[in-house]
Amino acid sequence: MTKTLLIGLDGATFTVLQPMLDGTCDEGVVMPFLADMIKGGYSATLRSTNHPLTPPAWTSVCTGRTPGHHGIYDFVRFEDMGDEMFFTLYDARDIRTETLWHVAGREDKTVVSLNFPMMAPPEKVNGSLVPGFVSWKHLRRNTYPDTLFDRIAAIEGFDPKELSWDFERESQIGEAMPDDELYSWVANHLPRDKQWYNIGHALLSEDNPDLFALMLDGTDKIQHQAWHVLDPEIWDTDVPESRRKVRALVVEYFRQVDGYLAGLHAAAGDDCHMVIVSDHGFTGSDKVVRVNKYLESLGYLKYRSHDGSDAAKRRDMANFANLDWETSRAFCPTPSSNGIVIRKQSTKNPNGVAEDEYEWFRDKLIADLLAMTDPDTGEKVITQVLKREDAFPGEAMENAPDLTLILCDHGFVSVRNLEPQVVTRPTPIGTHHPDGIFIMSGPGVAAKRGDEMSIVDTTAIVSHAMGMDIPEEFEGSVPGDLYTAEWLKDHPVQVAGHTDAQAAPKASSNDEEEISDDQREEMLAQLRLLGYLED
Amino acid sequence: MNKDSIQDQVISTLKDFITDWGLDADITPSTTLVEYLEFDSIDVIQFTVELEKTFGNRKLGFQELLMKDGRYVDDLSVSEFAVFLIGKLATA
Repeated sequence: MTKTLLIGLDGATFTVLQPMLDGTCDEGVVMPFLADMIKGGYSATLRSTNHPLTPPAWTSVCTGRTPGHHGIYDFVRFEDMGDEMFFTLYDARDIRTETLWHVAGREDKTVVSLNFPMMAPPEKVNGSLVPGFVSWKHLRRNTYPDTLFDRIAAIEGFDPKELSWDFERESQIGEAMPDDELYSWVANHLPRDKQWYNIGHALLSEDNPDLFALMLDGTDKIQHQAWHVLDPEIWDTDVPESRRKVRALVVEYFRQVDGYLAGLHAAAGDDCHMVIVSDHGFTGSDKVVRVNKYLESLGYLKYRSHDGSDAAKRRDMANFANLDWETSRAFCPTPSSNGIVIRKQSTKNPNGVAEDEYEWFRDKLIADLLAMTDPDTGEKVITQVLKREDAFPGEAMENAPDLTLILCDHGFVSVRNLEPQVVTRPTPIGTHHPDGIFIMSGPGVAAKRGDEMSIVDTTAIVSHAMGMDIPEEFEGSVPGDLYTAEWLKDHPVQVAGHTDAQAAPKASSNDEEEISDDQREEMLAQLRLLGYLED
Repeated sequence: MNKDSIQDQVISTLKDFITDWGLDADITPSTTLVEYLEFDSIDVIQFTVELEKTFGNRKLGFQELLMKDGRYVDDLSVSEFAVFLIGKLATA
């Protein structure tokens, strides 16, 4: 039987879950399985990566390393060409450390890994792997082994379009939606997680892998768009019927998720260890902070001028810095990064910041950022600015933004060329919060609420639960009170052995120092798809 | 490799490529990717990667076919891909 289940619920937070677990919300107990699991098991707040974002955070879960080591910081990375900035997508080939799936395989453990981001193109694993965030048209080519797609296609009700990543739909996150549109948008997400559950249940039941790992991301998408109907601090039943209908659907989603958790646990058996984690938590954000517009006002950057055409206007509106690269010296590349990049002087970029100027320039930039206020309230909108070496220490640090911003309401910044620089939304949207969830049940697990844990603890815990030693490079640990003393005596935590850097996905990828024209064209095509670039 | 076999291989690669798309499409030399098969830009790029695998696992400079005067072309047909490949493979 499968020993260990690792279930990811993207963006899950006790803020939203607690009323559904203890029955204090209007709907009563919505998630009885999860409630029982917490009652009889261990739970704690799980602190995300220093910038709580899906790609770095799930990669931390999958590798047991922090972003400064595994090298993934955002959905999008860029190459500074001096007079042009080429944006492309991070993928598995950018991960610099060995994944848990591969470590487990070296120990002859079998693995099923489903829907984790940054896992495409898939590596060879001792089992099965279907990456997340892959368009349905390219799912077959991105599953491992190559016979897996036909196998899952034979599952009753399988629909690759329902299952996979819809770039167009997900790019709508953050857009204000009337209730009927929001209802449809939420409704489109329910079948997706059901498809992943069906595949997961089939592979778990048929293959009995030593480690079964599945990530469901409907929680994140729905909380982004429908936070105002979920946040117990905001939700009020005295709203139009259309709004109550949205709430009912969202609650139904969580009810279904509880059913999936119960189904997977039943398929694995009572003697399994079940670990449920989120990559980050959630909270409400009502500030729009146009940080590049602020930096423009201080002379750090210039927006690219345009001819007023529709194409130029659409490019300006893309979630993607569209700047005059010959003159801009510091900028935020993407809203998801909350990062500020300082452009270094080079032969390609003679106007960049010289090496001996860097410290002074950065200190001034930090002071300027911390001075940004909401002109209506005088409130500071940026409460913390993290230096790269503090936020992302490690051998992969050089690809991280020079600075990472934490906003007053944990929101993501805007990079758009719009005024005013700060706007207050009439209705909060959901944004990421550092505090995610850790829940675990199974043999020997103590029934208690523990102290705050780190996201990288997850990987150490799962390794140990599988009966493996924890490699020395794993940065997390097993909390001393996670298990009963009696159980630990027979199952001691051993830190021994090493991960294999040569087994990292990046080590086996064909990495050229210069971007070829072919690569550049491929990047441009990908970015057009995302609406980041115009013809 | 002659012209006919190159065109046949383009058609065969394309048929494999769209296997899971649920299209009931008859692929001929005049079949267009965007208008007839509803390719988007990432699909076109992925298809060129598949063609590069088919024809010897090497870069074939498809950007010369996909872009004209600094802009992406609106659409391409199977025969246009075949003609391009014939030229490229002849000079390889």
